[in-house]
Amino acid sequence: MAMESVEAVVAHIQGLSGSQEEVAHLHSLLKQSEDALRSQAARLGAFFHQLDPSVHTLGYLFLLEAYSSDPVCREQDGDFLLSIVEFINSCSAEQIRLAPEKFISVCKSFKDKVMQLQVPIQGIVPLRTAIRKLQASSEQLTTLHSDYLLLCLLAKCYKAGLSILDDDIFEVDQPRDLFLYCYYGGMINIGLKRYRKAWECLHNVITAPMTTLNAIAVEAYKKYILVSIILSGQVPLFPKYTSSTAQRNLKSHTQPYVDLANCYATGTFSELEGCIQTNLEKFQSDSNLGLVKQVLSSLYKRNIQRLTQTYLTLSLQDIANAAQLKTPREAEMHVLQMIQDGEIFATINQKDGMVSFHEDPEQYITCGMIEHIDSSIHRLMALSKKLGSLDEHMSCDPAYLTRIGKERPRFDFDEFDSVPHKFL
Amino acid sequence: MDLSPIQNAVASGSYATIADACDELMLQVASRGIAYQEDWPFTVHLLGHIFANDLNSARFLWKSIPQGFKESKPELVAAWRIGQCLWTRDYAGVYDAIRGFEWSPEVAGLVTAFSENYTKKMFQLLSSAYSTIGVADVAHFLGMSEDEATNYALQHGWTLDSSSKMLTVKKPKIITEQKLDPSKLQRLTEYVFHLEH
Repeated sequence: MAMESVEAVVAHIQGLSGSQEEVAHLHSLLKQSEDALRSQAARLGAFFHQLDPSVHTLGYLFLLEAYSSDPVCREQDGDFLLSIVEFINSCSAEQIRLAPEKFISVCKSFKDKVMQLQVPIQGIVPLRTAIRKLQASSEQLTTLHSDYLLLCLLAKCYKAGLSILDDDIFEVDQPRDLFLYCYYGGMINIGLKRYRKAWECLHNVITAPMTTLNAIAVEAYKKYILVSIILSGQVPLFPKYTSSTAQRNLKSHTQPYVDLANCYATGTFSELEGCIQTNLEKFQSDSNLGLVKQVLSSLYKRNIQRLTQTYLTLSLQDIANAAQLKTPREAEMHVLQMIQDGEIFATINQKDGMVSFHEDPEQYITCGMIEHIDSSIHRLMALSKKLGSLDEHMSCDPAYLTRIGKERPRFDFDEFDSVPHKFL
Repeated sequence: MDLSPIQNAVASGSYATIADACDELMLQVASRGIAYQEDWPFTVHLLGHIFANDLNSARFLWKSIPQGFKESKPELVAAWRIGQCLWTRDYAGVYDAIRGFEWSPEVAGLVTAFSENYTKKMFQLLSSAYSTIGVADVAHFLGMSEDEATNYALQHGWTLDSSSKMLTVKKPKIITEQKLDPSKLQRLTEYVFHLEH
């Protein structure tokens, strides 16, 4: 097809956005006009007002993508951003999904622009809307997920990240998306002090399939070590399903952190402080100093918690000595804070200066607890069903069958073979 | 800028919803590229987070407020002082921060409600954490005079040993709901079915 003029393309868009068949036809016309649009990007700005983003979504998208790929057009700051926000808000999700790469490209230009102008907060609601429109379901991970979390981090609107982060993901298109999404997710959870959730996110990064080591996994492992210490006082071994690449290489790239974990295990405050001082610059340049400081203050808690395993009652003076605190009053305040945070079950007897440690009083028989267990079982059943159907799906997949067919030892032709011969 | 969702929440006393309303509205306004910071009710926003005991959000919000505002708005700084005391667990300092400022009518209701909540929560904490505690400390943690604190404690069933000025805590009875309804039977059947297949 000859090079179309922009006017002609716009006329097509206006005329062919009625039904699904029309839009499909329009789609092929637009694909043929891509070069024309790109070469005339500077002119496109004048045409947007002739189109309605909610009705002419697909056409508008092609124009917008050509426009935003042009560096000169991108310099039109304010209007450029607002027109994309407007588009995202009014576009039709159905039409968007016909050209997802173009939509993603527009959104990425948008994100780059808000970051360049240092107004990440401006991009949060639009990207959230964009994700919801792009996703086929809330279980699907898109490239935009990690961009969204990045903006939340930069704008310090951590809570805004949760609306996306709390979705359970079952489908991933691009492995790189998963790495970044889980890494940023870990950082958001750390900011919100949801350490268990942060641990899960970071765990996903380091145990994801990897043939070569990547920088995201290394950074994630650094934070993983710190969060593990804060949560449980130690760093767990790599689970069996961790890639051998990760198992062989992660530790050597994160030596200061591994050292810190070993130092923590000795339980001495001054030794830990010393270890931190030695590697201070490294922690700072990795932007992990805040987390490292939290590791330090968790040592008091860890030492006090250890006492509960040995003693039923202990004097405040003894607690102060064991936890390397200066006065019994300091010990009392630490214990009080741990009681407030639910990290310890104890009662302070000021008259005698003693603390009694208790068992967790939870009896697991209240209605509230039953509801909790109930919903957990429900989630597990749903997950189990999902895994079952994934398994079924995979056992019918030709690629999979070819693979196991090839790896099976060849016996007699008459040998009963459950893998059809065409896959061998 | 239409701030009515926030103003309505404040006026109707639904203080627990202020923080979320502020967060969402701020994101919406920012997405339209409006320079919202000049007229934004930061003090109400901050106090909303403090009321909901969401100190993380309060800290992040404080960090994002332009330096100039922090210098020119004393009420904002006073509100932050409450948050700071909560964050550093300066239990008594919270009361000083609340009482040390003449709050504007806009936020006075919110601050008072927070103060009452906080006193109750502190008392609950003391009840669960202590078996015996000195009168001076109770007064310190509840932000009351020793006499007021003693009366408050006695009203809740604690006992006083005047010679040693020690209060003995009475643990509140925990009433736990244990009724089950028939739909639970349906659920149990589903679980057994699932496990058997």
